[in-house]
Amino acid sequence: MTDIEIINIILHGSRDKFQTLVEKYQSMVFRTCIGFLHDKDDADDLTQEVFIQTYQSLNSFKGDSAFSTWIYRIAVNASLNRVRKNSRIPILNRLESLFDNGKEKKISINAYETEDPESILIKHEKSKWIQNALDTLPENQRTAIVLSKYDDLSQKEIAEIMKITEGAVEALIQRAKKNLRIKLSASYKKKK
Amino acid sequence: MNCQLCQEESDAYRAGKLADDIRIQVEEHLQQCTDCTESYRLQSLADSVINKEKEISPDVNLSSRIMARIENQEETTYKTIIPFTRVLKPAFIITSMAAAIFAGVLIGNIYKPSVRDMSVPVELALINDVAIESVDILSNE
Repeated sequence: MTDIEIINIILHGSRDKFQTLVEKYQSMVFRTCIGFLHDKDDADDLTQEVFIQTYQSLNSFKGDSAFSTWIYRIAVNASLNRVRKNSRIPILNRLESLFDNGKEKKISINAYETEDPESILIKHEKSKWIQNALDTLPENQRTAIVLSKYDDLSQKEIAEIMKITEGAVEALIQRAKKNLRIKLSASYKKKK
Repeated sequence: MNCQLCQEESDAYRAGKLADDIRIQVEEHLQQCTDCTESYRLQSLADSVINKEKEISPDVNLSSRIMARIENQEETTYKTIIPFTRVLKPAFIITSMAAAIFAGVLIGNIYKPSVRDMSVPVELALINDVAIESVDILSNE
């Protein structure tokens, strides 16, 4: 059954059929969300929001593009909104991190069992460093790099989602990589 | 090979997608240039962090939680509609009926039928119709 057929069934009152779409696309939406947020719990929460928003606006889906493209757009917009919202309340985040001991919740229990604490901390520190560099990229470069690196989408697919040309996507990805390289090198030299 | 070319090819090199001759040139350059080696290591680190994040799976109960939230939201919407159907709708019907009756009475009062002037003119009253000869008598003749 195609996505359009499933959507028609849902719109005719069979709400339960939406679970089929959720199960089909949840990993994809989650990957996009974690690419922007870098936190499992936040990404889980945002994935829920994305699907609820998708369900509520299902009747506005015209079928001009693939359903996956449409849901990617919703996921990207929701992620960017969440990132903007988070950046508006840095003081609150800092307070939260004080009580939470940072983002220690990211480290899984299995990691504690198999690795020594020092190497876990080093890995964690490295991850935070890379994530911070990714987060400082401009929104369009960040979107292109997330869709390319996290979702493994082709330039054509990214162009459809971002509603730009393939050439523009290529330019964005090149600029993002260059910026990332510069930012990482600069902060690495500072650390040294 | 210069630094710019090496950095341009580094993605393909890490992915193992380079032709042998270019791969060898990149490797030779990386052995000589500390800046490019450093950049290459940082990019490899970034890739490994991204790949690690990609391995994280969503919550196993995510789809059930989403469906439960959708169900809850729809029930909440239904509950907000119920007061209208239970209370406001009958009240609206009764008010409409009362307004219709009131309007009917009002229109009824406004309408005044034209009253015929039943009074007999003085000239007609003075006619002595007894003296008028009957038409039947004339026809018999």
